[in-house]
Amino acid sequence: MTTRIFDRETILDLTVNFIPLAIILFFVVGYAVVNPFGWDPLASGLQFALLVVPFALLAVLTYLSGKAISQAEDERPVYLPGQATVSGAEPIEERESEGAIEGDAGGES
Amino acid sequence: MQITGQLALTVLMGIFLVGVAAWLARVENWRSYTPLASGGGGAHGTGHAEKPSGVIRWLTTVDHKDIGILYGFFGIISFVVGGLMVLGMRIELFDPGATLISESFYNSLLTNHGITMLFLFGTPIIAAFSNYFVPLLIDADDMAFPRINAIAFWLLPPGALLIWAGFLPLGDIVPAQTAWTLYTPLAAGVGNGNQANAGVDLLILGLHLTGVSATMGAINFIATIITERAEEVTWANLDIFSWTILTQSGLILFAFPLLGSALVMLLLDRNLGTTFFAVEGGGPMLWQHLFWFFGHPEVYILVLPPMGLVSYILPRFSGRRLFGFKFVVYSTLAIGVLSFGVWAHHMFTTGMDPRLRASFMAVSLAIAIPSAVKTFNWITTMWNGKLELTTPMLFCIGFVANFIVGGVTGVFNASIPVDLILHDTYYVVGHFHYVIMGAIAFALFAGMYYWFPIYTGRMYQRRLGKWHFWLTMIGTNLTFFSMLILGYAGMPRRYATYLPQFSTLHQLTSVGALILAAGTIIWAYNFATSWIEGPKVQDGDPWNLEETGMHTAEWEWFDRKIETAVTDGGEEESVVADGGGERDDA
Repeated sequence: MTTRIFDRETILDLTVNFIPLAIILFFVVGYAVVNPFGWDPLASGLQFALLVVPFALLAVLTYLSGKAISQAEDERPVYLPGQATVSGAEPIEERESEGAIEGDAGGES
Repeated sequence: MQITGQLALTVLMGIFLVGVAAWLARVENWRSYTPLASGGGGAHGTGHAEKPSGVIRWLTTVDHKDIGILYGFFGIISFVVGGLMVLGMRIELFDPGATLISESFYNSLLTNHGITMLFLFGTPIIAAFSNYFVPLLIDADDMAFPRINAIAFWLLPPGALLIWAGFLPLGDIVPAQTAWTLYTPLAAGVGNGNQANAGVDLLILGLHLTGVSATMGAINFIATIITERAEEVTWANLDIFSWTILTQSGLILFAFPLLGSALVMLLLDRNLGTTFFAVEGGGPMLWQHLFWFFGHPEVYILVLPPMGLVSYILPRFSGRRLFGFKFVVYSTLAIGVLSFGVWAHHMFTTGMDPRLRASFMAVSLAIAIPSAVKTFNWITTMWNGKLELTTPMLFCIGFVANFIVGGVTGVFNASIPVDLILHDTYYVVGHFHYVIMGAIAFALFAGMYYWFPIYTGRMYQRRLGKWHFWLTMIGTNLTFFSMLILGYAGMPRRYATYLPQFSTLHQLTSVGALILAAGTIIWAYNFATSWIEGPKVQDGDPWNLEETGMHTAEWEWFDRKIETAVTDGGEEESVVADGGGERDDA
């Protein structure tokens, strides 16, 4: 399912958000394993909710934004940001094939 | 005698009202104006009917560009007020004792400096850029709700007057001395001090107004960016500045109403005897939680658009596009979400449950990643690029340098054991000023210089621009690095006096502040004189962006505006852009 929506390039772009997600996940596991302050339903519930809720929200937003951008790339030509309405501007793919601008190793091509 | 006086006052008021009515009647019928024929827009008129002239134009405008300029002027006035306040504090701090001003007046300046810079300078000056440029960048006719846009701005001046009311000669009203965080019980007016005074109520009401203003603006930007984009401007084509404004608006939408609610609760506690934040009721800690649930996203409300400005401007003078554009977009969104999960890292020393504290530390460490990603993107964009060290570029580079210091010192603070030592010291003050002054203000200056030709039609004096940059860079680092060391040495924040062993570092800090003031005076002089008599820009590409394929929508709009403008007869010498002849291939 995911692979149909996100190509390899998009997933590579999204890794930027996987890192904070991984950090939060690390602490979820860490706090579950190492628990020097004991277990209390309210405090411990809040402790994990404070990690799980941002994790879930970030995962959802990353998915939705990745999907929106990926679909937009498929449907219409992609220009350099801010150039879509500039007369005579060429889509990025054409510019790259002409070597019009210096290379960008980032995930925008 | 008394009756005669009242009669005289009534008659005077009557005459005044008749005068107002007569003046209004003399103003031409605003609805009678016909739209401009030229699609390119006249003086400032894409998609708008021609406007009345003079003051009436500025009082009645709903044009996004005019409102952007109004926001800009308002922000600059606030910057001057907030700057003068802190200069008073820093001059006082040349000496360990309270020699120049009283401790209570110092506290008043401290409180109002913070609130002025955050709410009356930071948010409005960002709105200046977003109002002027977002519709141009996404090719919208105007904001989605132009009149709401105007109302949002016009709530700010009364808000500012209320916030500053304590300094005005208004009977027994004194300025608030609560610090910008308004911590209870002090801000609830409890105790034997003078903070039950109406000055604090007025400040809270003023804050509330600015919050309403920001929320209205945010709704407008969300609606504009989502619904008013041109067909070609897809999510994949949206520029980075608009992305950051969209994210910022989302943060405002969730954060500011909460601040508004908390402020109303505080007002009720102060005036109607409720116990939301009283020990016997919700407790003083409730305020801290509510405040920081707003307050931490506020940090990102202030920093995301400047990050967008740097991401937008820096590549133009690096001769290449932004490295990893989508990394920057996704990390902006990540910051937006995570910023709501870190609020209690401001409260690590309050005695909260250690399990909760641990979670806030974890998310605070995680949120450092998206910010660091952006930093690497900016550095990589410049790497091996053809750098042109124009004034806006210098400010962008200064932003990156200062943001690294501000960011890294913040990561240390996210760690609970370190924070327990450094909390409430000058280290914290140094850290957030590196971000707010060293980064945010730098990016805003970069934007002001970069787009100066667009909103004035003229070019600034580049030598003065460079002086401004270097004085600001040196002043910022001298001031705030000294603060970091002061914090390590144990100097607590918010004090009007200090022990003699801190004298040297405090004096260095104050010298830095004076250098900053000198740079700011040069900037104000440069902008004022250049706006009035600077050389006119003759074409829509003063930075030669077309050469590197970096020409964007707002400059094309500007080019169209120049071409369709009716000539005023006077031909002035053409302008050499700041970058002209300064290309640095380093």
